[in-house]
Amino acid sequence: MSDNMLSLAFWTALLASAVRMAMPLLYAGLGEMISERSGVLNIGMEGVMLCGAFFSFAAAYYTGSLWVGLLCGMAGGAMISLIHGLLCVRGKQNQTVSGLALNMLALGLTSYLYKLMCNTGAHLQTAVLPKVSLPLLSRLPLLGEAFFSQDAMAYIALLLLIVIFVIYRFTRAGLSLSAIGENPMAADAAGIQVEKRQMLCCLLGGLLGGAGGAYLTLAQLGLFSDNMTAGRGYIALAAVILGRYSPTGVFLAAMLFGLANAAQIRLQAATNAIPVQALAMLPYLITLVALLLSSGRSREPEALAKPYIRGGR
Amino acid sequence: MKKASALRRILLYIALVLLAATLLVVASGASPVTAFSVFLKGIFGSKNSFCEVFVKGTPLILTGLACAVAFKTGFFNIGAEGQFYMGAAAAAAVALRCDFLPVVPRVILAFAAGFLAGGLWSLIAAGMKLRFGISEIIVTIMLNYIAINFVGVAVRTFLQDPSSGLPQSERLAAAAVLPRLLAGTRVHLGFPIALALTALVWFIMEKTTWGYEMRVVGLNPRAAQVSGISVAGGVVRSAVLSGGLAGLAGVIEFMAIQKKLLEGFSADCGYTGVLIALLAANKPQLVPVAALVYAAAQVGAAAMQREAGVPSAMVSILIGAVVISILARAWLSSRRKEAAHV
Repeated sequence: MSDNMLSLAFWTALLASAVRMAMPLLYAGLGEMISERSGVLNIGMEGVMLCGAFFSFAAAYYTGSLWVGLLCGMAGGAMISLIHGLLCVRGKQNQTVSGLALNMLALGLTSYLYKLMCNTGAHLQTAVLPKVSLPLLSRLPLLGEAFFSQDAMAYIALLLLIVIFVIYRFTRAGLSLSAIGENPMAADAAGIQVEKRQMLCCLLGGLLGGAGGAYLTLAQLGLFSDNMTAGRGYIALAAVILGRYSPTGVFLAAMLFGLANAAQIRLQAATNAIPVQALAMLPYLITLVALLLSSGRSREPEALAKPYIRGGR
Repeated sequence: MKKASALRRILLYIALVLLAATLLVVASGASPVTAFSVFLKGIFGSKNSFCEVFVKGTPLILTGLACAVAFKTGFFNIGAEGQFYMGAAAAAAVALRCDFLPVVPRVILAFAAGFLAGGLWSLIAAGMKLRFGISEIIVTIMLNYIAINFVGVAVRTFLQDPSSGLPQSERLAAAAVLPRLLAGTRVHLGFPIALALTALVWFIMEKTTWGYEMRVVGLNPRAAQVSGISVAGGVVRSAVLSGGLAGLAGVIEFMAIQKKLLEGFSADCGYTGVLIALLAANKPQLVPVAALVYAAAQVGAAAMQREAGVPSAMVSILIGAVVISILARAWLSSRRKEAAHV
């Protein structure tokens, strides 16, 4: 290893890159959490993120504005998620099938449109969001670089994390959104408009998932490639479970996945002794173990992936 | 009456797909006439290209069957991708490391090992579902990533070809490769094996008590339980059969096409299997039809991309859209039924 593994500089750099890798998962994980707590399982998060990545890139490329890109990416994600909502919330169709079909649709659509975009054969590239170091805070040892010397989207994600935490922890609105996922019939009886709220949660999930995809292009790479999310949408699903359906849990889970990823890249450069794939496996194994350990006192919303039919049983 | 309306529905879908395909072709700036003639020539142009449909279709038949069996039993196995890799890895371990055995038993053992590896891999999810009530959807997705990384580790350690240094195994001995059926093409013994397995799965599901019990478990676990059918038994059978079939897809791809264990060679056929099963309405007998249509579309679209510049990603758009419209239709027709009741 080039740096001393025990040096502060090594850990500071590792943590900073872990935070960057965690950001797409944090966005998508929070989105998926909102959706799942209202009872809608969105396996299509992968497609949501991919659309977010593509549409943000395309819009940023044509307008030259990264912020327009972000909005378009979020809209792209919301589009997929709303189709899912229509089919599953309004239409009561199977959520797994719908999600997988949307993943395939999104994969095809983004690859197709991207091919048309670079028909001229040019290599397309946009700028990426600059790093903004907050005064003083960014000089904190270890944490400074990781949390206070990031791009604007990362700060937004951390703010959103706090906002979502407060909403779910302390407000009536948050309570009613969770109630739908636990017991839609009771929520309905209590006067909560179940379908409307579920559609709202799908919309929010799509906007956040789209932003997660957009983070890849706008903050990390400045370019698009076919299937560039490479399974991050599924990892976001894992982060939600590992995070036990709570915003802070999702954050910690996303950090764990980010850390494993960052460590893996550093190991890859440093050693051949252990294949990095062994390390890449760990977050998934940890998720499974966490599922096993938390079984019986599962936090899974009671009515997850079960369509609510008014007047049905 | 029912048959006729089903036929009408399929014709309607075909018409809609053709319409959408034309739009996508025109949007990409190609002429539809050229594009479609290239598409058809890509499939039927030569013996070799036509046989590619069966080459590409073979693993899809097996992963499609895997998903159909699981879904019929109410076991949402999204893990065909991982089971494919575990099957291929087990077959590679047997076929490459048990060279003290003569060829025929070695190949048979490789198939058995692949079936078992895939079956056990999916049994993990079944166990977690039955014992702890954990959603098999999530578990199978996690197991996919673990399996993919496991193959990554295997081809860098105990299954690596030491002479190459690349992340891949040694080449399978020529005698153990599944034979080709037609000279000059890649179509191989795996295709008739896949068809035979289709017939076998149909027979198990439709004609045996075992299959009947599995279907009841899928339709209504409560009813199964009160009529003395073990829900756990049904789910376990379904998981092993389903995972085993996906494992065999991996075995066959390894032993007929790749001939070495590599990373990433499933080309997502595990995930595609889910959609194939859905297109076939989870009916085993329709799975080969759906798989071959999908494979043909892929082969034709690849030619279209090569020669007419139309992105082959079109196929994914169309398949995704078809599945979504099937769901939408189910929704609308249930609404119509409701309206009729009121």
